[in-house]
Amino acid sequence: MDRRVWFKRLIKGATAAVTAALGVPAVIAALSPVLQRRRGPDWRPLGPLDRFQIGSMTRAEVGAGPDDWTRPLVARAVYVWRPGPDDVVVYSRACTDLGCPLAWDDGSGWFLCPCHGGMFAADGQRVAGPPARSMDRYAVRVSEGVLEIDLNSLPPVA
Amino acid sequence: MPGWKAWAADRFGLKPIADNVLHRRVARGPWYYGDGATLTLLLGVLVLTGALMTLTYSPHPDAAYESVRHITYTQTLGWFVRALHYWSAGLMVVVLFWHLFRQLLVAGYKPPREGTWLVGVLMFFLVLVMSLTGYVLRWDQRAIYALRVATVIFDRIPWIGDELVLLVQGGPHVGALTAARLYAVHVVIVPLLLLGLAAFHVYLVILHGVTSRLERERPVRTAEEQRALYKQQERSERHGEWFYPETMVRSGRFALVVLLLVLGLAVFAGPRELMSEADFVTESRPAEEWWWSWYSGLVGLLPPAIAPTFEWLFPILLFLLLVLLPFIDRSPRRGIRRRPVAVAIVLICAVSLVALTDLRRRSPWNAWPRQTPPEVPAGYSLPPRAEEGRTLFARYGCSTCHAVAGDGPSFGPDLARLPVPYSRDAMRDFILRPSPGAAMPAYAERITDEHLERILDYIHLAQTFPRR
Repeated sequence: MDRRVWFKRLIKGATAAVTAALGVPAVIAALSPVLQRRRGPDWRPLGPLDRFQIGSMTRAEVGAGPDDWTRPLVARAVYVWRPGPDDVVVYSRACTDLGCPLAWDDGSGWFLCPCHGGMFAADGQRVAGPPARSMDRYAVRVSEGVLEIDLNSLPPVA
Repeated sequence: MPGWKAWAADRFGLKPIADNVLHRRVARGPWYYGDGATLTLLLGVLVLTGALMTLTYSPHPDAAYESVRHITYTQTLGWFVRALHYWSAGLMVVVLFWHLFRQLLVAGYKPPREGTWLVGVLMFFLVLVMSLTGYVLRWDQRAIYALRVATVIFDRIPWIGDELVLLVQGGPHVGALTAARLYAVHVVIVPLLLLGLAAFHVYLVILHGVTSRLERERPVRTAEEQRALYKQQERSERHGEWFYPETMVRSGRFALVVLLLVLGLAVFAGPRELMSEADFVTESRPAEEWWWSWYSGLVGLLPPAIAPTFEWLFPILLFLLLVLLPFIDRSPRRGIRRRPVAVAIVLICAVSLVALTDLRRRSPWNAWPRQTPPEVPAGYSLPPRAEEGRTLFARYGCSTCHAVAGDGPSFGPDLARLPVPYSRDAMRDFILRPSPGAAMPAYAERITDEHLERILDYIHLAQTFPRR
């Protein structure tokens, strides 16, 4: 075989090998956040259950997350609604349309979205605007009189 | 040429560059062909001001917002650098749409310029990426919700939605990993790509020239025909000119006018005001940057059944359509003559962009908690019962949606200017039990008869108020 033909093949082969040797680990490293599996429940206290009056909508806050360098924005405001003595609902503030922050309007008794006019009633049902789903609810439990929610019970964007 | 200039031109190999870039004959183009030079200049301003801000900016949630505040309020001339960056970015999006529309009108994607077009399409989408990631780095409420809306849209992409969200956020929560990767994308990865592609784009424009006058006047079928026609114009006194200085003066004029606009806006309007720091706690009313308003308006306008798919599918379809355009439109005609479809599409798109931006600015679909009652016009006073009704009007959230005699939001009808007159009884019934489909809460069992009558007293009297 002609030397030059062989050299040309060698150059192409070496280029492909180097690209693969560097590219495959690079792609894996770049995509690594995707490999994270959903973790178990992450229960956070919202305060004593007695603080949340029956028949009213109360704003509550989840405290800051772990104090490590990644500073996850875990702290968030949620809305607690107690339709009855044995019933407690904790709503995510994210509009189910595009995730904009809902505001509770105490006067009208509706949640209002600042983006495209999504509106929800106190029971979380959509009453106006583009949202297709009712408001997202966190998994709740009461532990020694303290209301807790599981942050991982909703997807990352809710 | 003085000795040292000739020496430098020879030793640094500048002569071939000067001969092929500056001292060449080109086909003469109209003034609006200066949009390319304008984009190049804006890119330069953005690279320079962006690089300056990286000297101070800190891409970590603990410091990002404070470092932007530092640039804006403490650093000497930092506000000016940030303002230049902001307004150049906004105007780059505007001029880029102009450039895209202009190329669609002259058919700049036809042979032999398909490669120039494809590189341009790639850059168009990279600039859109920059125009979103840039303001997320500000790390204020506008930033965090721009990011949130983008990830919600990514989440809707079938099969890979969840993974895309993790990839963008760097993990299940927004945090330092998110800020780091957005910084890398905005400051390193995409700028490197853009600078390389821009250089390549300019090289191709030099190689293939701009869509010349005669190309727009007669059918041109092949790349060979185009080249012959272009060469003929280059040489002609009437259709051709020297790139340096004639073309550069004309294009430079366009670029300078836009730069003056950027400078004026930077000095007199200043940098974009900061909202409060990014978190998911503060009650806020964020909105996208104005160059994205058209898309927000469009999404708000679409029926809820279509919007969730449209949001992610539209950019993909647009990309595919633009990439395939040179291979779909094979007609030999260029320019606006006898290309009614191209003209109609560009006109519709341009008008839609403006109309949708205006729609989003007005956002007639939005209501927001408002605890202040409508004002009583000067010279009028209300009797005590109606005055009490006015206070209750705010307490029951009526003022969140309704204006009275011109004062208040326009989500619901102005109650003093109802299109159809309501009797007191009809209005009472409507407030207690709104007709189905009306975006209004039912007040039955939520309001006392006494309070309801006071509100009705107020509305009744307000109907005698003058128009504002």
